[in-house]
Amino acid sequence: MLEVNNINTFYGKAQALFDLSLRVEESEIFALIGSNGAGKTTLLNTISGLVTPASGNIEFLGKRINGLAPHIIVEMGISHVPEGGRIFNEMTVRENLEMGAYSSHAWKIRWGTLQQVYEIFPVLKEREKQLARTLSGGEHQMLAMGRGLMSRPKLCILDEPSYGLAPKYVEEVFRIINSLREQGITILLIEQNVRHTLETADRACVLENGHIVLDDICDNLLQSDHVRKAYLGL
Amino acid sequence: MVEFLNIFIGGLILGGIYALIAVGLSLQYGVARVLNISHGEFIMVGAFLTWAMYTFWGLNPLASLAIVGPAIFVVGFVLHRTLFTRLRTSSASPAAYEGGSLIATFGLMFIIQNLAIITWGTDIEAYSFLNTGVSIFGARFAANRLTMLLFAAGICVVFYLFLARTRLGKAIRAAAQDPETAGMMGVNIKRVLALCFGLGALMAGLAGSLLSMCYPIRTTMGLEYTIIAIIVVVLGGMGSIVGSFIGGLILGMVGSIVLYIDPSLSLVAYYFIFILLLLVRPTGILGK
Repeated sequence: MLEVNNINTFYGKAQALFDLSLRVEESEIFALIGSNGAGKTTLLNTISGLVTPASGNIEFLGKRINGLAPHIIVEMGISHVPEGGRIFNEMTVRENLEMGAYSSHAWKIRWGTLQQVYEIFPVLKEREKQLARTLSGGEHQMLAMGRGLMSRPKLCILDEPSYGLAPKYVEEVFRIINSLREQGITILLIEQNVRHTLETADRACVLENGHIVLDDICDNLLQSDHVRKAYLGL
Repeated sequence: MVEFLNIFIGGLILGGIYALIAVGLSLQYGVARVLNISHGEFIMVGAFLTWAMYTFWGLNPLASLAIVGPAIFVVGFVLHRTLFTRLRTSSASPAAYEGGSLIATFGLMFIIQNLAIITWGTDIEAYSFLNTGVSIFGARFAANRLTMLLFAAGICVVFYLFLARTRLGKAIRAAAQDPETAGMMGVNIKRVLALCFGLGALMAGLAGSLLSMCYPIRTTMGLEYTIIAIIVVVLGGMGSIVGSFIGGLILGMVGSIVLYIDPSLSLVAYYFIFILLLLVRPTGILGK
């Protein structure tokens, strides 16, 4: 579904990603694991068009997407829920969700999508008229994920969706990720909770200093000495 | 009572036009991140176009709004798509862009003003339109000033509804808060920023048309309005459209009171409020 081939990405003069390749298959949960500064967020930003790679190419459903503007990439079916949610604080919950459906095809069917999102996140319906900045941390993240679904994505990119959340919300986030996959949405996920992530995802790769060092199914990664030592503290 | 009405309605008249001018600048600065020093020149051009069409073709100044508005919008939109988009993409950081675009608008100010001087000269021009007195509970006002208030307030309200209710209006508000995330939602950010700059220019142009119905105009009138617009935007809170509207009304009231005491002191009073504000509440009325 998503194919990243030999991309090199720079931030200013510093190279963040080195000759990086990966494939995400349809209807799977694919996770990226790595420490802070390994290049995970840069990779996601490169896929969604916020950053342009210096070389290499990215294909989504057989079409080249690198070099396209973010608003065109959303329209093609990739939704990016950024780190920290980045919701629009001065707009209401409902308006935030409407913004998620801004692409023209999603806009036409937004009321139907809104009902579906309210079913997944009932708390958003309760809060729909409130300004987004009045939400709690957990609700904030629910809104960011709900907004990401409003574009009816085929591939949903989630950057640290459980970061800073209370344990009950962390469980909720993983439950929702699983239910999205059951609806046929492919997930590309970054999470700092490595064990939980490897138990939920199908496949994962380990990113270190802008290089992919391991790329395998999660059951194998859970057995890998490197992963156990560096990321699971065993 | 009559004196109070004189000052109060006079304040609304002045405030309405200040609000319109400031909302335009707020859109350019709060969303498009261009502190447009040439804002007043768009006001001047709007005023002169309306004056010229009335004087040479006999076109009703209110009808000329429908020509001046779209024409100046297109100029603003194209300027942003060419000059400012290029500056934005070539700037190393948002701060560098704010600085660079500020300098660029300084240049624009000189270019527009000098083109206007070549075309229209430096004389004071005026025409008489709806120049009859209207009595409101004993206080008398020129019909053209009340018309100006009505139109300025109407344009602000229509624009507010556009921002609050429409798809594009919501995209503008989202882009004002976080342009990158708005892009990730599907907003064509280049187009929306150019649209905001164009709409800001449109409001300046319409304000100029309305001003020309009431006051004498000259090709060097722009800078004073730019300064007033900047004071109002800071007063209302940077980036807050509603704040600019309220700020405009407040400054208009102040202007009207000072005008009653000593007309030559109005700009002094505005600067005084500006400095007081920076000392007491630098974020403005609705700023964060």
